[in-house]
Amino acid sequence: MSHWLPLAAFVPLVAGALTPAMARGRPGLARGWALAVTAFCTFATAALTRRVALEGPFSYAMGAWAAPLGIELRFDEFSAASLFICVIMLLVLVYSGPYVRRALPATRIDWYYSLLLINLGGMIGFVITGDLFNLFVFMELVAVSSYALVAVGGGRTAALAAFKYLVAGAVSSVLILFCIGVLHALTGSLNMADVARRLATVESRPPVLLALAGLTAGFLVKAGLFPVHVWLPDAHAIAPSPINAVSSALVVKLGIIGLLRIFPLFAAAGAVSLAPLFEALAWLGAISVLAGAFFALFQEDIKLMLAYSTISNIGYIVLGLGLAGELALTGAGVHILNHALIKATLFLAAGAMIHQSGHRTLHDLRGIGRAMPWTTLALLIGALSIVGLPPTAGFPGKWYIALGALESGRPGFAVVVLVGALIIFIYFARMLNAFYFRAPSHKEMLGVSEAPASMLGPVLLLGALCVLGGLLTHWPVALIAPAVGRLAGGE
Amino acid sequence: MDDLWGNIDYAAFVGLFCIGLYVVVAKQNLIKKLLGLNIMETAVFAFIVTSGMVDGGTAPIIGPGATGPFASPLPHALIVTGIVVAVSITALALSLIVEIYRQCGTLEADELKGAE
Amino acid sequence: MSFACAILIFVLGRHDFWRAALTLGASTVKLAIVLSMLPGSLAGTVYVYELLDFPPGIGIAFRADGLGMFFALVSSTLWVVTSLYAIGYMKGKHARVRFFGFFALCVSTTVGIAFAENLLTLFLFYELLTVCTYPLVIHDETPQALKAGRKYLAYTLSGGALILLGVVLVQHLAGTLTLSTSGVLSPAAGRPALLATFLALVAGFGVKAAIMPLHGWLPTAMVAPTPVSALLHAVAVVKAGVFGLLRVIYNIFGVDLLGLLDYTGWLALFASFTIIAGSVLALAQSNLKLRLAYSTVSQLSYIVLAASLLTPLAAIAAIAHIANQAFAKITMFFVAGAIERTTGRTHIFELAGIGRVMPWTMGAFTIAALSFIGIPLFAGFVTKWFLSLGALQAGAWWFVLLMVISSLLNAAYWLPILYLAWFREPRGLPRGVHEAAALLLVPTLISAAYVLLLGITSRIPGMPFSLAQAAVRFVTGI
Repeated sequence: MSHWLPLAAFVPLVAGALTPAMARGRPGLARGWALAVTAFCTFATAALTRRVALEGPFSYAMGAWAAPLGIELRFDEFSAASLFICVIMLLVLVYSGPYVRRALPATRIDWYYSLLLINLGGMIGFVITGDLFNLFVFMELVAVSSYALVAVGGGRTAALAAFKYLVAGAVSSVLILFCIGVLHALTGSLNMADVARRLATVESRPPVLLALAGLTAGFLVKAGLFPVHVWLPDAHAIAPSPINAVSSALVVKLGIIGLLRIFPLFAAAGAVSLAPLFEALAWLGAISVLAGAFFALFQEDIKLMLAYSTISNIGYIVLGLGLAGELALTGAGVHILNHALIKATLFLAAGAMIHQSGHRTLHDLRGIGRAMPWTTLALLIGALSIVGLPPTAGFPGKWYIALGALESGRPGFAVVVLVGALIIFIYFARMLNAFYFRAPSHKEMLGVSEAPASMLGPVLLLGALCVLGGLLTHWPVALIAPAVGRLAGGE
Repeated sequence: MDDLWGNIDYAAFVGLFCIGLYVVVAKQNLIKKLLGLNIMETAVFAFIVTSGMVDGGTAPIIGPGATGPFASPLPHALIVTGIVVAVSITALALSLIVEIYRQCGTLEADELKGAE
Repeated sequence: MSFACAILIFVLGRHDFWRAALTLGASTVKLAIVLSMLPGSLAGTVYVYELLDFPPGIGIAFRADGLGMFFALVSSTLWVVTSLYAIGYMKGKHARVRFFGFFALCVSTTVGIAFAENLLTLFLFYELLTVCTYPLVIHDETPQALKAGRKYLAYTLSGGALILLGVVLVQHLAGTLTLSTSGVLSPAAGRPALLATFLALVAGFGVKAAIMPLHGWLPTAMVAPTPVSALLHAVAVVKAGVFGLLRVIYNIFGVDLLGLLDYTGWLALFASFTIIAGSVLALAQSNLKLRLAYSTVSQLSYIVLAASLLTPLAAIAAIAHIANQAFAKITMFFVAGAIERTTGRTHIFELAGIGRVMPWTMGAFTIAALSFIGIPLFAGFVTKWFLSLGALQAGAWWFVLLMVISSLLNAAYWLPILYLAWFREPRGLPRGVHEAAALLLVPTLISAAYVLLLGITSRIPGMPFSLAQAAVRFVTGI
């Protein structure tokens, strides 16, 4: 049982590295292989999540070297995000089959699956590691494979977007590594729990402050928060749609989870107080909510619109973190998971539309609701969720964050939450109009057929999950409650 | 002031880091940006490696006649990994640059904006 | 229930006959279900059904209490009538599957609003109602309709956001959202917080209740097909707003707390202003549907005014007027639609002599108009009577004066129409124009009959009025 933990992270990494070699000369094998590996990971993380729900967090010492000397893998309540990662990745893989056949050159398909598996392994590793340096390594695995995946479709814009993403990502990574180095120099340890203990006795203030600020800034770039979001819209709009789903739903969340991982390190430190940082985060989050929603209003390209909406939603989560009350943190935690579901739905559905019709602006897509009723339905469910209409998945996060804002005596932030939702509703209405009520701009739009089953299936399933995720909110809430308690209590 | 002189190496690395950051942000040529990135990485690696130094320490090889104090071996191990990561990023970036040059015929970021 | 029907309509809806049968069948069954709960509700029983508990502590739950029962009864009765009418009206128009599907959805969300056990459920269905009515408003898909739809969405969604803010505040202040007889908020919360909550909730629900200056969307939304206007104005949307206001006043704040704070005085002032201003604006309209719209704005504020007086007698007036106004106004919309469908006329000056050609239709209109003016024996009189009594009970005699002025204004804009229709020679009507089709006429007459029934039988037990009294017993705890 306990070996499941390393296996969940390392099997996809190894499998990903092996994919091109295995699939050589055997086209079609890569997808099946990737599916099998991801299914295994899903199963493993499900078992681990069940265990954490029953027993609480547990650790695994790599190679039986005990922490703090050995490398520790730690599965806590936030690590349960790995289950979501696996499920979404599984659906994305199913969806990718027909998609990549048309969107990618045949020679790149094996590499595509290989990179996706490495990406998956990196993400799982990131959320389950208990070691700072490992955190960095897994983060880089995810990042490098993401850069490559953005460019995998080929074309000048793709390469440019990938490069932009690479520079922003690499600078933030270097910053994070630098700060990890500072922490190591200060404490002589890399194990998170150990660092937290030793930081409590560090007297000198500037280096601790530097590490905290650097790590926060680095992870915020990774999360794509406004105003350090410049890389995000291009990277998320130009890459192939399944990749958008992965990067927008999952990869940016790693930045947030990174923040959740490093804050406890400093919680006990006497040298710095986290309160001013949280204050700044709350403001940044609030600005990001409004700015993202506002920019999204002016987008014609449906994928760009969704990319800006990601910035807005990351803003919600950061706002929840910054408010730092128990309710607000619950909201942030729930929204991390639910936004992943919603954004995956939206990008996959939009991708199916673009794939089938060849158009990508709202203007060109007019009338598609009649041609692709099911996909459009899923897209609209996703859109309703992102607005945060109860009982869909977007609601609980915003609800808790708004309550948290009131709890901490900051009604202004509660208003921000609602105004953000209202702005998002406007573009929901634009989509609704374009898809159903406007006369098609292109005659052939009515002849467009519904996506093939293996694309439609994941889209519909995710649409259903968007509703279920809202209805069953008490599960994630109950799951992360102890972690939230620790986090809020430690401050 | 003593602190600063005692940690002059750290100050140098921070300076190097800032130079790298400046190059990444200010230079328009994509290759120069990549070079800046590499400078930043180097600064960080050097910083972490020197942080493992112990006054009067020797190489941490346990053998006959080896006596402490030893330098901490961990940072070196880490940086080997870090360098691998940095190389892979550089390789990927260079391949992207080749692709961009093929498609657009230029590597100046301001000209590329017009080409999009 | 009607939710299931809506899905069936979307699936089976290609076929004319099945669609009609389904709509009618479902509406009848629903009415029967609601009616079956009626005796229990009259006796004071409260049915509670907890659907699920989604974020811990707050969930979707339903409860059929007096007030909710009353509203559900009104809306499901009117659904039967409106469905009948809509089948006749929409014959030969486009996108009927969508129309009837969303029509059914609207009514099911309305009943959801009526039976909501807590503020969150109420809010949920309230927002769903907005979303479901949007396709109905823009049904014609003309640029004008789309513009009206945008305005409608802008208004109602801003209102919705305000409500959500209020809901969050209530949850924060009271720790619960359950609607209770005595209100859930306590004075201990402090005046600024209570004021903010009150403002958010009242302004939010006030959008759909069309309290001036929040009424702008309503006349614009008149571009919709007539059954939709009827639905918007009589059954679903505006009444949902008013109902939400009643819930806020009686079940969230509670009469006692509001008596302590003096916010309702301001609300009453706004409502009085709306009553007068709405009537004056109605006078200025020459389009029949627009005049109806402004009259609605004015009439809705009767309910708001009555509720804000906080006395039991006024509460009876408020609740009874939900039904009175609904039936009378829907009759008028049916008539306007029937005239438009039969003769193509939409302006008041074109109606000269129409009573001679379409006597039954205009007869129904006359009944409704007299009810609005407040002639005894018609439904509108009951409201005004109790409202005046309630005002006196509250010691605010000037509201009685307001009633008189408003009646005069009502007379001033309805009577000319009646005069035109009955006493002028028909001019320019093509030959062969006669009474509206049976499918349009029958629902009109049924609802007109209801208006009479509501007025005449107000004292007989078992009639809607006694239910209103039961509802008052529930909300005020007497």
